[in-house]
Amino acid sequence: MMADGGTGGRAVGIAVMVFLSASLSVPLSAQDSTRIVEAQSILAPLVESYGVSGAEGPVREAVKRLLPTWAKSETDTAGNLWVRVGQGSPVVVVIAHLDEIGFRVSGIRDDGTLELETRGGFISSLFEAKPALVHTDQGDIAGVFLPRDSGFTGHTPPPLRVDVGAGSRAKAMTLGVSLGQTVTMPKQYVRLSGTRATGRSFDDRVGATAQLIALRRLDRAALKHQVIFIWSVREEIGLEGAAAAAAALGTTPRRVHAIDTFVSADSPIELPNFAVAPIGRGAVARALDNSSITPPAYVDSLVQVARARGVALQVGTTNGGNDGSEFTPYGVVDVPIGWPLRYSHSPAEVIDLKDVVSLADVIRAVAETW
Amino acid sequence: MIGRERDSTGPSFRMGKTASAFLLLLSAFPPVLLSAQDGVDRLALRFASMTAVTGLEQAMVDSLRALFPGSARDQAGNVTLTLGQGSPKRLFTCPLDEVGYVVGNILPDGFLLLRRVGGGGASRTASPLFDQQLEGHRVTVFGARGAVPGVVAVRSTHLTRGRGAPGAPDPVFTVDNAYVDVGASSAAEVQGLGIAMLAPVSLAKRPQLYGERLLAAPVAGRRAACAALATAVQAKPKVKGTVMVAFTVQSLYTRNPGLASVKALLGPFDEIKTAALPARYADTAVETVALADADRLVREIVQWMEGR
Repeated sequence: MMADGGTGGRAVGIAVMVFLSASLSVPLSAQDSTRIVEAQSILAPLVESYGVSGAEGPVREAVKRLLPTWAKSETDTAGNLWVRVGQGSPVVVVIAHLDEIGFRVSGIRDDGTLELETRGGFISSLFEAKPALVHTDQGDIAGVFLPRDSGFTGHTPPPLRVDVGAGSRAKAMTLGVSLGQTVTMPKQYVRLSGTRATGRSFDDRVGATAQLIALRRLDRAALKHQVIFIWSVREEIGLEGAAAAAAALGTTPRRVHAIDTFVSADSPIELPNFAVAPIGRGAVARALDNSSITPPAYVDSLVQVARARGVALQVGTTNGGNDGSEFTPYGVVDVPIGWPLRYSHSPAEVIDLKDVVSLADVIRAVAETW
Repeated sequence: MIGRERDSTGPSFRMGKTASAFLLLLSAFPPVLLSAQDGVDRLALRFASMTAVTGLEQAMVDSLRALFPGSARDQAGNVTLTLGQGSPKRLFTCPLDEVGYVVGNILPDGFLLLRRVGGGGASRTASPLFDQQLEGHRVTVFGARGAVPGVVAVRSTHLTRGRGAPGAPDPVFTVDNAYVDVGASSAAEVQGLGIAMLAPVSLAKRPQLYGERLLAAPVAGRRAACAALATAVQAKPKVKGTVMVAFTVQSLYTRNPGLASVKALLGPFDEIKTAALPARYADTAVETVALADADRLVREIVQWMEGR
């Protein structure tokens, strides 16, 4: 989910990330249901794919590999991935985004360190003095986000740079670094207690996963109209992919369902004024955020759709923008559906896999019955 | 770099011209060099992936005992082994421990609170930004039933928007604000994971190699230095006299009681040295050592053990 008002070679053969703590990654818990197993089997590879806004290729390819065999996908000129199911009106759009927050190389200094510009909104201190990956067409180049010089004792560091161990601009370029490449931090999907998990870029790989599960389980014969599933690009830097999709569809759709994070205040360090949907209690009707307000009658309808299927659904309001809001200028009603997330846009986001299952079931119910 | 100790604050020791010349000679024999390099790289990565919170180094101590079957664990927790016999009787040490955390409280809703161990006493003061490295990152809690992954809570980016006044204070994150989330919903669930008060906690260790054999990890300097010492021992040097090797505990707490214990129990020694390596970005999660320096240290230690 876009943070409103945000700030924003040589491959791993020589620069190997050594996940010696990989044994901590709990593949499956003994008590996992088949639904949890299914959700994790799709989510984990998506989370461990990298796709900073504007460089979503690896994630898009991962989604394509995970589509049901019958699905025919197409990629538009913006980079969005489309799958159309069913025929007739009213057309309904379901859209989750592929991209994640990160950086782009904006300069290479004489000493070989890389200057960065942010892609999306996040707390920069969470990247300071941590491992880094520069993503190139030839593979990833490992490095480190530089710690600040001594003397700065505030929470926020000065603009971050990356050291790939080059020592000079020429050497950095020899390694394969060039301007415009994207930079992130290594990430790993890790199970926590019960059905919970942590990783980076659950926003919005959970949405992408839920759309895939819904498609796989969809009763296509039950569809009464066309449903277009879109995996969009460049959401974190201004809903750009969604804007292109909305322009292409114009006034054709009746509704759009943005499938994106419900940033939850379910944490002891958050204010409880709003956004309190707890994790593990199901998907969330994102009735009001910083980009759209869902007409109350549509929220009621969504609740009824979920209730008729016996699917858990919470209703709430949170911060951020959503892809569906780009469709509203064309008269399309935006009914965003989220899933509760702790610690959004951090390297340690936390979800409950039960909510992924709930979200997929809500999407399927919407497609088949609404 | 080897630190020579005449007393607890002895001057550091640097290689002389003779030693440097000998290193050049050594480098003329690639098979020997490659073998030692592979060994120190492998051990440095392995040690850098381990956690040994000062005073709670048991897991790493056990690993070292397994690495050196003839070694002993003294009553303070140090790992010691004896090479050679007779005089002189010398000691080579390497401190194992690191500044870290323990579980200080378990809340009814399943969150853990922490207490820092080390880095706050007379022996060593942690950077004001040391605790901030935890915020929003994965940690490992070492419970009675094994390692348990968790994360340290951070405010969601989206929920901070519009809530801070321009120019408001920007205080650093401290351990007092660290809520550890292991995915549990109750204290009973936490206990079911084997987590109790005083369980050690550290940042999840993910050593990273970059550039030309640069190793980045928390306490990479110490761990690569210990790897160099271990590699030197594995090289089976022809020791002059007796060399005691000690991987010591609690070097970062109060008055270095681990090393003091070795001296008291196994001394006196004619000479004491400590393994150390220069590091960039010290005391951060990406503290960086050049493994080429570790190669040199291995050769230097072997020479010293052999009395050359």
